[in-house]
Amino acid sequence: MTGPHITLDDLSVDFDGRFQLHDVTWAIAPGEQWLITGANGSGKSALAAVLAGEGDITSGTLSGLPDGVALVSYERQAELIAAELRKDDADILDVISDGTPVAEVIADGCLDEQLAEELVDTLGLRPLMDRAFRKLSTGETRKVMLIRALTSGPDLLVLDEPFDGLDHDSLLWLRGYLTDRAKTLPMVMVLNRFDECPDFITHMAYVEDGRLLHQVDRADERAFGELHQLLHLKTSDLEVPAGDPAIELPALNPDEPLVQIKRATVRYTDNVVFENLDWTIEANQHWQVSGPNGSGKTCLLSLITGDHPQCYVNDITVFGFQRGTGESIWQIKQYIGYVSTALQWEYRVGTSLRNVIISGFYDSIGLYTRSTDTQKAIADDWLALLGMTDRADEPFNAMSFGEQRLALIARAMVKHPPLLILDEPCLGLDDMNRQLVLALIERICAGSTTTVLYVNHRTQDHIPGIDQHLAL
Amino acid sequence: MANYFNTLSLREQLAELGKCRFMHLDEFSDGVEALKGKKMVVIGCGAQGLNQGLNLRDSGLDVSYALREGAIAEQRQSWKNATENGFTVGTYEELLPTADVVLNLTPDKQHTNVVNTIMPMMKQGACLSYSHGFNIVEEGMQVRDDITVIMVAPKCPGSEVRAEYVRGFGVPTLIAVHEDNDPNGEGLALAKAYAVGTGGHKAGVLMSSFIAEVKSDLMGEQTILCGMLQTGSLLCFDKMIEEGVEPGYAAKLIQYGWETVTEALKYGGVTNMMDRLSNPAKIRAFELSEQMKDIMRPLYNKHQDDIMTGAFSSGMMEDWANDDAKLLGWRADTAETAFEKTEAGDVEISEQEYFDNGILMVAMVKAGVELAFETMTAAGIIADSAYYESLHETPLIANTIARKKLYEMNATISDTAEYGCYLYNHACVPLLADFMTGVTAADIGVGLDLDDTAVDNARLIEVNAAIRSHPVEEIGAELRGYMADMKRIV
Repeated sequence: MTGPHITLDDLSVDFDGRFQLHDVTWAIAPGEQWLITGANGSGKSALAAVLAGEGDITSGTLSGLPDGVALVSYERQAELIAAELRKDDADILDVISDGTPVAEVIADGCLDEQLAEELVDTLGLRPLMDRAFRKLSTGETRKVMLIRALTSGPDLLVLDEPFDGLDHDSLLWLRGYLTDRAKTLPMVMVLNRFDECPDFITHMAYVEDGRLLHQVDRADERAFGELHQLLHLKTSDLEVPAGDPAIELPALNPDEPLVQIKRATVRYTDNVVFENLDWTIEANQHWQVSGPNGSGKTCLLSLITGDHPQCYVNDITVFGFQRGTGESIWQIKQYIGYVSTALQWEYRVGTSLRNVIISGFYDSIGLYTRSTDTQKAIADDWLALLGMTDRADEPFNAMSFGEQRLALIARAMVKHPPLLILDEPCLGLDDMNRQLVLALIERICAGSTTTVLYVNHRTQDHIPGIDQHLAL
Repeated sequence: MANYFNTLSLREQLAELGKCRFMHLDEFSDGVEALKGKKMVVIGCGAQGLNQGLNLRDSGLDVSYALREGAIAEQRQSWKNATENGFTVGTYEELLPTADVVLNLTPDKQHTNVVNTIMPMMKQGACLSYSHGFNIVEEGMQVRDDITVIMVAPKCPGSEVRAEYVRGFGVPTLIAVHEDNDPNGEGLALAKAYAVGTGGHKAGVLMSSFIAEVKSDLMGEQTILCGMLQTGSLLCFDKMIEEGVEPGYAAKLIQYGWETVTEALKYGGVTNMMDRLSNPAKIRAFELSEQMKDIMRPLYNKHQDDIMTGAFSSGMMEDWANDDAKLLGWRADTAETAFEKTEAGDVEISEQEYFDNGILMVAMVKAGVELAFETMTAAGIIADSAYYESLHETPLIANTIARKKLYEMNATISDTAEYGCYLYNHACVPLLADFMTGVTAADIGVGLDLDDTAVDNARLIEVNAAIRSHPVEEIGAELRGYMADMKRIV
């Protein structure tokens, strides 16, 4: 395959003072297909946009850029819509204008009408051709953008998160189509999710803080592996470390729900948190709990964990124990793994990171029992998974909030509890670790031993496998 | 009622004072079994009452709260505490007749009144539990013969009792059975189960006697724990001001200094606290503490003697009868002291600086701990007990000063401790006046001017040996070792 030979030499670029790329040295040789990756805000979209001629070069050189660079990105999409809205404002006629119809937007700059027709049908846009472009949904707009880019006869295709917002069928089709086009068309792609990386990608660039830190040839398996690890996005081969075989919980009755709450009410002298709440949680029925701040999500969960004292005045059965009939709180907690911000506040202990994870086997804050070698090994597996191996002996209370949170998530999962309660687990995590944690939860949901209760505000943190929903 | 201790023969007195044994974890293998299904009713819903109740219930026990009718009708704080935490609340009349165990967690001065009120309501063969033996030992309360009388005393504030339990641990706890009231021989089993219920067995339980608990507890709190810290705070502050140290700095050095230096005490005894000083500073602190021990020894002896004879408690009970006139007056005086009225400055003081610039404070802690320990053991109190009532508790009290100076300390400790603390302070301040004239800013506030940290080898060896061989260090190492055996990984 022939193609452009693009060279960025010590290039610094400014984007309206809002963002800068620094000292980027990068060469795209003919025949190479690149993926740019990095955390949110790292500058990967900016780097892609530079190839489409955006930004002001403040130093260094950029050469070899072909004439026809087609860019699909959220920013471009937003610009087009903004331009449509401006047109509307500019209309001096007293008629209601919906703006440019889809057909016109697609035809604008189109060099391959036959392909455009094909793509319109394939992507299901045919019924929308007369509709105003700005009335389309986000996913539909994205499809129009893709068609424009693909039919513009590009010499280089720059795709920033092309799969985002597409429905499943369209996504599968696009992957196949791009794989086909990639044989003759050079591409640079930006992806958040490592596991979406198409097979035709030959090289990867890793961006952090506006700098191009790593360039990896996919054929170099070791370097590729390291980058993979660096990204923590090991969703394809992510393995949850095993539990401790030496800890055997008293068996639960499989015919009984894990949790049964009947007409629960939590009240204080001056207010009622909630009233007459019923909730039954069957084993392997994963739940998401949502609700505005102050609606009592955390309070409800602590009725289950036994941390809320009013669990004793409500009709609550957990793991076969009717609460308040002589069971101890440790008999309850042995079945539960738990993460919440409240727990993190309470976890003010100077013990090591490794011990914090091991404490999950004992449901304790701090470690008061000599742990076994097996438990230490399991904790080390978790630390490796979290990329924190070299910090195992550092004191927990000296770590950042996000690091503490990761350790507490491992602590909650370490024993593969029958019930895993995650109260806004991703709070304080950066994007990489958030995805790692979501992937872990997804894995745990897919297994048959742990039931997950998941409290979350952020809808994008939806986890496949969690299909029950309780809204407070 | 007569002082119970004074009714015993010397032989019996010594036997009771000598009771104190560190119990091993395997002695608690029955867990809470002895209390399972029994109805436990708590009287007093303050910090100890509420938090012990929360722990006991979380351990699977049946806990409810008996309040006076007025407290329920007016929905007072005690009523709120109990109901918001999901406990059954009832009047004495409603709950006590069916109670198997009554937990008296009210302040000392209410004990006589409370016990006299509840005794007629308690059922035959029930158990009455105290967390402090003052009422039995000093006031000579006679409890009905059929009632079992035990003591379970967590050696920490109520909030800590709860916090440590929630963490999966507990706080060191002292248990005892009143021999005169153990009709069914079940007192020890009940006390052990109670200690398990509060999580105390995980942190270490001392089996003691009512008498040893009272006589050592009073001595510890009056002298090193509260008295010495109060006197030390006032003297050190005034000295620093006299030497021209900035008042905000001086206030901060003292307010947080006690906590910082006694934290070192907690981990490694007097030895470790002294080891945090440079060699010249250590030798200086040692010398200061030796001088103070000589000066203060008669005062420590007097406190112990007054405690043993009952003179202390009868004096305090007179003040009780007089509406706490003295106590309240002394409390007001404390609030007016220069240290109390000077706010801690907004200055950075590093952890090490508290040692380097607080040589006199370190010396005071050392002198107070050692003297209290020596005095208690000389009076027949066993070393284990003396250790807990001196060195072990000092950091806990120091924490209260860090929170809100002497006001917080005196508000947190019992009225009994507070009364004794003021007695000590009134005697100790003038006693040390002369000594303080020989103290300079190098000892408190500024630190030694150390261009050269050279010391004489022979002198250093001598000082180190004296510090390390003190009996409080021997028993301390052993008891802290048990704690490590309890497998707390700090």
